[in-house]
Order: sequence, then C-alpha cells, then structure tokens
Amino acid sequence: MANNEVDIVKVIESKFGSKVQVQPGLLGTAAINTNGLHREVLKAMVEADAKTGITAITGLDLGANLGVIFHVHTEKGFFGLRAEVPKEKPRLQTITDIIPGALFHELEVSDLFGIMFDGNELKGHFLLSENWPEGIFPLRKDVNPAEVKLGPSPPEEKIPEDKKIVKFIIGPQHPALLEPEKFSVTVEGEVVTKVEPRIGYVHRGIEKSAETRTYVQDVYLVERVCGICNACHAHGFVGAVEKILKTDVPPRAKYLRVIALELNRLHSHLLTLGHAGLEIGYETLFQYFWRDREPIMDLIELTSGNRVYASLMTIGGVRRDLKDTDIPKIKTTLSDLKKKLPFYRKVYTDEPSIRARMQNEGVLAKEDAIKLCVVGPVARGSGYDIDVRKDDPYEAYGEIPFKEIVYKTGDTWARMNVRMDELEESINIIEYALDNMPKGPFRVDVPRYVPIGEAIHRVEAPRGELFYYVKGNGSASPERVKIRTPTYANIPAFLKTAIGENIADVPPNFVSLDPCFSCTDR
Amino acid sequence: MAVDFWLIARILIFPGFTFILLLTLFCDWIERKLEARIQNRVGPMVAGPAGLFQPLADFIKLLTKEEIEPRNAKKIVFKFAPLAAFAMMVFAMCFLPIDGGSVISTSGFPGDLVVILTFSTIASFMLFLSGWASSNPYGTISSARVLTQFLGYDIPLFILALTPAFIAGSLSIFAIASYQVTKVVPFIIMAPWAFILFLITIQAELEKDPFDVPDAESELVGGIETEYTGAKLAFLHLTRDVQIVFGAALIVELFLGGPYGPVIGGLPAFWYSLWFVLKLLAVVIVTEYVTTLFARLRIDQVLSANWKIILPLAVLSLMLTVAMITWVYPVL
Amino acid sequence: MTNTITWARVKSPWVLHFNSGACNGCDIEIVALLTPKYDVERFGIKLEPSPRHADVLLVTGCVTQQCAERLKRVYDQMPQPKFVVAIGACACSGGVFEGNYNVVGGVDKIIPVTAYIPGCPPRPEAIIDGAVKLLNALNPPKPKKQPKKAEPAKEAAKPAAEPQIVVAQPEAKPVMEAKHDGKQ
Repeated sequence: MANNEVDIVKVIESKFGSKVQVQPGLLGTAAINTNGLHREVLKAMVEADAKTGITAITGLDLGANLGVIFHVHTEKGFFGLRAEVPKEKPRLQTITDIIPGALFHELEVSDLFGIMFDGNELKGHFLLSENWPEGIFPLRKDVNPAEVKLGPSPPEEKIPEDKKIVKFIIGPQHPALLEPEKFSVTVEGEVVTKVEPRIGYVHRGIEKSAETRTYVQDVYLVERVCGICNACHAHGFVGAVEKILKTDVPPRAKYLRVIALELNRLHSHLLTLGHAGLEIGYETLFQYFWRDREPIMDLIELTSGNRVYASLMTIGGVRRDLKDTDIPKIKTTLSDLKKKLPFYRKVYTDEPSIRARMQNEGVLAKEDAIKLCVVGPVARGSGYDIDVRKDDPYEAYGEIPFKEIVYKTGDTWARMNVRMDELEESINIIEYALDNMPKGPFRVDVPRYVPIGEAIHRVEAPRGELFYYVKGNGSASPERVKIRTPTYANIPAFLKTAIGENIADVPPNFVSLDPCFSCTDR
Repeated sequence: MAVDFWLIARILIFPGFTFILLLTLFCDWIERKLEARIQNRVGPMVAGPAGLFQPLADFIKLLTKEEIEPRNAKKIVFKFAPLAAFAMMVFAMCFLPIDGGSVISTSGFPGDLVVILTFSTIASFMLFLSGWASSNPYGTISSARVLTQFLGYDIPLFILALTPAFIAGSLSIFAIASYQVTKVVPFIIMAPWAFILFLITIQAELEKDPFDVPDAESELVGGIETEYTGAKLAFLHLTRDVQIVFGAALIVELFLGGPYGPVIGGLPAFWYSLWFVLKLLAVVIVTEYVTTLFARLRIDQVLSANWKIILPLAVLSLMLTVAMITWVYPVL
Repeated sequence: MTNTITWARVKSPWVLHFNSGACNGCDIEIVALLTPKYDVERFGIKLEPSPRHADVLLVTGCVTQQCAERLKRVYDQMPQPKFVVAIGACACSGGVFEGNYNVVGGVDKIIPVTAYIPGCPPRPEAIIDGAVKLLNALNPPKPKKQPKKAEPAKEAAKPAAEPQIVVAQPEAKPVMEAKHDGKQ
C-alpha cells in the first residue's frame, strides 16, 4: 500500500475542516466526499504535491443523481474525490486548468453520462459514433441500448484545397495503424502543425455490457478489451473483485499470475519493437523480432492452452496449474531469448539508420510527462519513474527483486530502449518465480454474489498503468466497471510531441508510444 | 522501304522487348527470394517451380483487374503516364550492348550514354506525373518527393557516369564497354571510388532502401501508385522493375566491361549475352542485399546526403579520375 | 486463356487488412502470417497498403457503428474481382460483443462475405487453411487418384456440413471485365 498518505489527508482536513468527509482506506488511500468543493480540494493537493495527477474520472448513475469520482494519484497516495450532481442539471466545473491530463477523461464522461464540464464543453461525440442521437447517454441505467434509434451519418468534411497548408488524414484504414482511428494532421510543407484525433472507432460498449453479464462472464469479456495485454485486463478486473470479496488468494496462484503477466509483457514488447522497425522502413528487423516472439507464444500456449487469450486468471486464483515437467521447457526458451538480446541491443545502439530516425525525435520533457499524466514506458523514457509494480506492489511483485528501467532523454529512442531493457527484466522475474514457486492450492472458491462495495485495482500492463474500478451491488452482476487504459492516458502526450515534427517522424513517434486503440476505446 | 525481319525480331524478341521483359521478371523473382531468405523466410513457392512464375502471375492478374479512374484525376495523364514511363525505360534499354550489339544498332553512336541517361530521367519524370495526376493527397506528396529525389540525384549520376567516359575517351557505351576488356582492366578496378559512389547514387535513383522515401508505406499508403488499379498499376510496377534492371545494366556496361568477356568456342553473341546476364544478376543481388539491410531515411536526410555528401564526393571523384588519367595511368 | 487468368489470379492474391473494431487479437495473428514461422508470401499473398491494389479484403472486428460506413467505402474502392474474408468470431457474427450498443455485429451485415474463419482468435494455421481453401475453391486443383474428391465449389451451395470454414461461391466469375470510365 502507499506510504505516508497521512500528509495529504492532514492537509485537507486542516484546510477544509468539516466541509469534506474523508474515508480512509477506501478506494486506495482514502475517499473524500468533496460536497461541491472538488476544484478547491484538487488545488490544495496539487500545491501540497507537485506530482499530483489524474488517473481516471469515473461516472456513476446513482438513481436520482449522477456521481463522479476523480481518481487522483500523488506521490504519496491514491485518492478518490467524490462529487454528485442532480440528473436534471448535470454540470460540474472542469479541472483541466489545474491538471491538463484530465482532458480526455472529462470528455468521455460528458459523452457517456451527459455531465457537462464548464470550461471543457464537448462538441459532437467523443467516443460514440457520429450517428448516435444527441441527448441519449448510454451508460445511464435508464437507457436500453437496444431501443436507441441511430440517426443518419453526417456528411464528410471537405478538405479545403489550400495551396500551402494540407490537412491529410491518417485515416481509419492505414498501413501504419493496425487499428482504425482517425488523425487529422495539418501540415505546412513537411512539418506538422496540429494533430486532431477522432477516437471511438473501436468502441464496443464493454463497460455497459459488463453490467449485464455475471462476474465470471465478465472476466472473459474484459479480457477481450485488447488482445495484446489481455492477461493484464483480466487481472485488473479479478483483483478489484477480490478486494470487494476480501478473498485471500493462495501464494502459488500469486506466483502463477506473475508468470502469466510477465509472459504477456514479453510478447507485447517484442511486438512493439518489431512494429517500430516496420514504421521506419526496416522490414528485416521486424521479421527478426517477430520470429523471436513465436517461442514466447508457444510458452503462453504451454502454460494456458491458448496462444493469445490466455484466460488464466479467474476470481480466486488461476484456472490451471503449472506442471513441473513444463518448467525446464520454459527455462530453455527464455534462456535462448536472453542470448539473442545483446544482438538486438547492439542493433539499436549501433545501427546508424535507426539512430538517425529515432534519436532526438518526439521529445517529451519530464515536466510535460508529469502534467499530462502519462504512464508506462512513455513516462519512464522521460525520466518520470512510475511503475505500479514498485509503487504499489500487487501479487508476488513485492517479493521478487527486479530493476525499474528509466531513461532520461525522453525521445523515441529512449522509449524503445526502455522496452528493450524491460525484456531482460521480465525474463529474470519469470525465472525467479519459477525457482521460488510455493506449493499449495492454485485457486479458492468464491461466492457468486458479490456484496455491496467498491474497489480499485491497478496493474502494470506493458503499455503502462491499467486501472480498474468495480462496484458491486449484491447481485451476480457488477453495478459499474470502469476501465482506464494506459494508451488513453498517453495519447495527449503524442498530440503534443507531434507538433513541429516532420511528417516522416510521426509514425515512429507514434509507435514508440505503443498505441493500442482497442484499449483506448473499449 | 524493305521490311527488315531481322531487325524486327531483334526488337521484339531478343535482345529486345521479350528478353527485357523476361529478364525483368526474373530479377524481380531473385529480389523477392533474396529478401525472403535474408529475413529468415522462404518467399514465393507456389507459382511455378520455387515460385519462379510469381512475378508473371502478379503481372497477368493485374492486367485483368477492373480499371477504376477517380473523378478528380487528370484524365489523359492518368491514363498514359504509366505506359509512357514503361516505354521510355524499355527504349533506353535498347541502346545497351547486350549480345555484342544493341537492339537498335551494332555499334552505337558517340553520345548515346547521354541519350540513355536522358531517357531514364524522362521516365522518372513520367512516374512523377503519374503520381501527380491521380490528385490524391498521398499521391501528390509522394510525387513531390519522387521529383525532388531523382532530380537531385541525377546530377551526381551524370557526373559519375562521365568518369568511365573520361577514362575510355569516348561517350559511346560500346566504346566504354569494349575499352575495359580489350585495352585495360574493367573500371571497377581502375576507379573503385567512382564505382562505390555510382552504386549509392543508383540506389537513390531507383528509390530503394535506404532511399525509398517516396514509397514509404507507413506514411503515404501507396505512394504514387495509390489510386492506380489494373493494367496501369501493372505497368507502374514493371517500370520500377525495369528501372532496377536498367540501373544494374548501366553499372555492368560502365564499370564491369559490359557483355564482353571470354568467348569459349561457339557463337560470340551467345557468350556475350551470357556474360551480360551473369554480371547483371550479380549487381542486382548486391543492390538487393543493401536494400534489406538498411532502414529508411527521411526525405530531408536523403536530400542533405545528396547535397552535402554525394555531390561533392562525385565532383572530387571526377577530378581524381582526370588526375589519374593524366599522370598515373600512362605510367602503368 | 481463361485458365491462365484464373491461374494468375489464384497464385497472386493481394490482401488488404481492415480492422473494423477488433480487439487486436486477430490482427496480430494476421500480421504474424508474414513472419518467418508462417510466411504466407509462399502463396503469393502480399499485404498491400491501398484498397485499390488488393484482391482480398481481410476484415476483423465486430464492425462498430463508426466503422460500418468506412468498411463499405473501402470495399467499394476495391476493383473487381474481389473477395472478402471475415476472420475471427467477431467478424463472423459479432462474437462476444453481440448486442452491445455501437456494435453492428458481423461483417456480412455490411458487405458480402466469401469465407468465414472462426476462432477467438483463429490460429495462424487456421487462417492459412481458410485462405488455401478459398483459393482452391476458385481454381480447383486437378483431381488426384482418389475417386471420391468432393468439389468444394459445389459443396458450398448447400449449408456446409463442415461448420469450420464455409466458402461461398465468389461473386464474380473470373472473366475480363469491361473497363469503367470516370467511376470512383
């Protein structure tokens, strides 16, 4: 758990007295009912701790009112600030002037719940499709999606035929992007002046449909938010539910979960490193990285039964055990991969075309990284050393020694190097876990009905900190599931670093941020 | 006017159009297999033995696809620029001595080196026009890059092509090629600096890695070919492939002694063609090797490499060659 | 002549990959097809960047509302003859997301589909198997010595006894099409 949280709580209690109510130990370090003073409380927190940032903003439907929880992280703790507005007049004041990184979160709550933020008005739709009717907010409890009548699509925007400035669209179908999103890039000559994203192409309404399925079905649903970091999504959900149930997961299950999560990290980093090669026109490097990724996929299949969707996590433990006869196979594959890592590191350090394309491009300074609340290798590449496995250890990470990789320069090259070094750390973690695996059961039984309660859980996914908020209402289905994915937090950083670059540097910069749009849109 | 069947056969079959076409498709196959093997893969396997007919299958398939023309495209240019580019490249190939004589004549004429370099420039210009005519933002940006790149690199190309001409004392390709074999050693040994620079410049002219910026898939989708379908696309691809063969053939003629080599009994024309093809394949393999080993540079890096590095080095190399001719070679 | 054309079309199928709202699982397996372990370039399959160059459209994803129109537009931009392969359970019928708001569910609600490859995600071997079955259906290989070889093209007309991969009759006969002018 976080240390020294009492400082911030003391600051708030001394400043606001009885106007706010603090509930320690809930939703992280403490939950604070702000009673309309959310801006003042947030300002006090930012003054007390410069590293304050927003992790997520959860919208809730509380019957007559709409609730908002601002999940705030500081260096010394993790807090939930509650605010409530009546449904007839859902207006709140924005916090984007205090913390710029809250931009996307507020727009999403406006789009899905209908809470308007003064100072950050939503124009059109953010996550929902263009033909979704106005005034109907799908995540409210009284809206049944099957009965919503979709409108016609609005007409295409005309690209003006200006001689000098060209606005070209990195569109939904593009060889650089594996997934559809639209980025309107305004260029002058070859230099980018503005990037406007339109997300929502992969929005499948997972948060809403999680409320109609049981908890066990939700594990499989939530896993399919993203195929690449699927184990982390499953783990985030399962961890939060176990906190509400106050289950004690057996130690063997904790170690098995660590192995599954680190295998996930390995294959994801190899994927990104290869994909970056494609972006800079280096097909050979792409083929080599993906050739070395295949043994890891075989390992995932060995431990869980499926190549991509491991589905190893379940509420109360893991779904199957690891056979002792498999352990030598895992160790051989990992040591083979470890022997190849120096070759790749040499390529990244010595190859002149890679350095020419990646060094000093897309620089994100440390102050910007903190203000925009970026997470994961993007933050660690800019010198901002956050890693949930170290800051807030979960499962067996508290017992396993490993290094946190931080680079200071903040350019594309640094971010890719962070991932390269993390490969070796992941291999070390898996080997340690295999050597020190405790004996015992790998699963405990849990009740099907989850009592009333709410909990959060944070996981270090390959792309950064993944955040889950689950609220139970005593039935077999959750009341609310909120997912904040790492790419969602990192896209505003890309919008900032792309300005002033050549068009040619936009794809490598983009890939170094490791975007996963199915995570972004859910 | 008597119809010279021999000339027509030479133009259409060997060493003319059919031969050039088959050689191009074969070089395309070699490139794909080599790239695949370097990347630890196998490459085309199914179309014919070891995938030999893959480029042919690609070509025939493209010929039979539906032709789509965007409403905003500039009609005439859009229709004819790919074919014009292909025709110019094949025409330029026709001046090179392949089996002892070229397609058109048996001894060439003084100055035909300049003529074929001009033709290849015009063909590249036609490629630029085809990207511009499709009036697609990706095509437009890409064609601007094509123009900047090939115009910029044409200058060192011409200068470096003059180096063998200086040594041989003639601007006729036949004279340059035969000079290397009859009088002295091939120019690759006499002027290796020019050879290396020429290789790099040809790599940039052909838009291959690390200089394949105009074809950058990750930013510009299909480049100049984005809007093309069907037969026009087939000819665009063929033009690119013939350019590669032409570039390799230039290197063979200017630096490796052309088709001339030892004749071991039998018809000299057969042996000359054989040496030509073997030398050509060697050059194609070397350029493809370089392609797979490098990433792609940015357009400003490509241009600054030209103006700051290649062009000064080309001028220096010419000066060095002239100095060698005046003072060193007469002694040897 | 027609035989040569069919042969060329079957030996050189260029694909375009379009993600219409997928979780990335199927897309990663499609990109893995190009890598050394599976290497579909053996079959002449090339991943093309532009819809105008491709013959086969590989669609993954459960078709979100936002993507539905774009999918139709990409399909229209492809020249004839063209085929659509729906890869993954989501593309076949909506998969896990069937019934969600913002999800159309199933590619065949938007464009005609030639082959379905189910799985979540389908293994690369399954995708290759589906691709090869589609190509064989277009150009049936010469019958070998076994007498009871079923013709895949005719079998697809009845409801498939083998529910794994359904290869429907391709929509265009492989003949040369008339040239279109000024059509976008």
